[in-house]
Amino acid sequence: MKASEVRGHLDGLLLSVLESGPLHGYAVITAVQERSNGVLELRKGTIYPALNRLERLGLLSSTWESVGERRRRCYELTDAGRRSLDSERKVWREFTAAIGSVLEPVQPRTAT
Amino acid sequence: MSAEGSSGGAGAAGAGADAADPIEAHVAELAAVLHGAEREKARMLSELREGLLDAAAELAPGCQPDHEAAREAVRQFGGVAELAPGFQRELTIVQARHTSRRILLLAPLLLPCWYLLAAAGPTAHRLPYAAQVLLAHLGGTAAATALAAAAFLAATGRLARRLSTPDRLPVMVAWTGTTAAVALALSAFTLTIASLLTSSWPLCALAGAVAIVFHAKIAASARACRQCARPAVAA
Repeated sequence: MKASEVRGHLDGLLLSVLESGPLHGYAVITAVQERSNGVLELRKGTIYPALNRLERLGLLSSTWESVGERRRRCYELTDAGRRSLDSERKVWREFTAAIGSVLEPVQPRTAT
Repeated sequence: MSAEGSSGGAGAAGAGADAADPIEAHVAELAAVLHGAEREKARMLSELREGLLDAAAELAPGCQPDHEAAREAVRQFGGVAELAPGFQRELTIVQARHTSRRILLLAPLLLPCWYLLAAAGPTAHRLPYAAQVLLAHLGGTAAATALAAAAFLAATGRLARRLSTPDRLPVMVAWTGTTAAVALALSAFTLTIASLLTSSWPLCALAGAVAIVFHAKIAASARACRQCARPAVAA
C-alpha cells in the first residue's frame, strides 16, 4: 500500500503502536511495518514531524532517554491520546463495515 | 548535555558534517533548507539522525554500519525535497506559537502602562490630550492583536485535534505580530515626545523604554515567523 493511501490514517497507526507502551521514533516505524506485515509502505522520515505534531496536540508526551552514548526521544500516549485512538478505531470499524457490505459479493436472487 | 540529543544540533550537523558520511550529509542538507526556532530544529534533526543511525545499524547487523547501509537508510527515510515540507510545517507552527505567546504576554502591557500615565498626577501634569488619544488607540490595537494571538494559540493547540490548521495561519500570526510591533514602536515614539511636554517625564520616558523593548522582542519573533512561512524547498 502506497504512502499516499496511508496518509489519512497515519495518526491512528502511530497512536495504535504506542498503546502498549512508550517507544522511540524508529521503534514506532518498525512496529507499524511489522504489524502490517510489511504491507504499509511508509517514508520513514515523515514519521518524525507526525510524532511532533501529535505531541503538540497533546495526544503524546515525550522524554529523552539515554541508551549508551546515544539519546533517544521516547513517545507515550496521553489520556487524550487514548481517547483519540478509541475514536479513530470506532470510525474505522464503521467505515470498513460499510465499505465491506457494499464490496462483498451478493447472493444471486433466485427466480420465484 | 542538552535536551537536543547527544549528537549535537542542526548547527553541528551543518558546520561539522563529515561530507563522506551519508547520514551527516543528509541531516546537514535538510538543516540548510529549514527555518525556525534553532532549539526545536536541532531537536527534530537530532531525532532524525538517531533514526537514520538505527536504520543503518539494522541494515548492517553484526558489524559497524558502512556507507552503503547509511546510504540505504537515507534512501528509505526519503530525500530532502520529500522530508522538508513536513518538517518545515511543524517548525513554522512552533514559531507561530512562540510569536503568539510573545504577543499575548507583551502587547497588552501597553494598556496598564498607558492607564497609569494618563491617570497619574494632578491634571496639569497629565499627558497632552492628543497623546492620550493616540496612546489609547495604540493600546486598543495592541489588545486586539493579543486577542488574535490567543485565538491562534487555541487554533494550533488542542483545538487542532478537531479542526485542521489552515496553511495561511502562520503568515497571519506573523502580520499580527508586525502590527503589534508597529503599535508598540509608535507608542514608544509618542511617549518619548510626550515626556518632553509633561512634568512627569521620568515615568513617561520609562514607559517609552519598556515599549521599545517589547517592540524589539515582538518584531524579531514576527520576522522569524515570516521567514518560516516561506516554502522550505524552492520549486
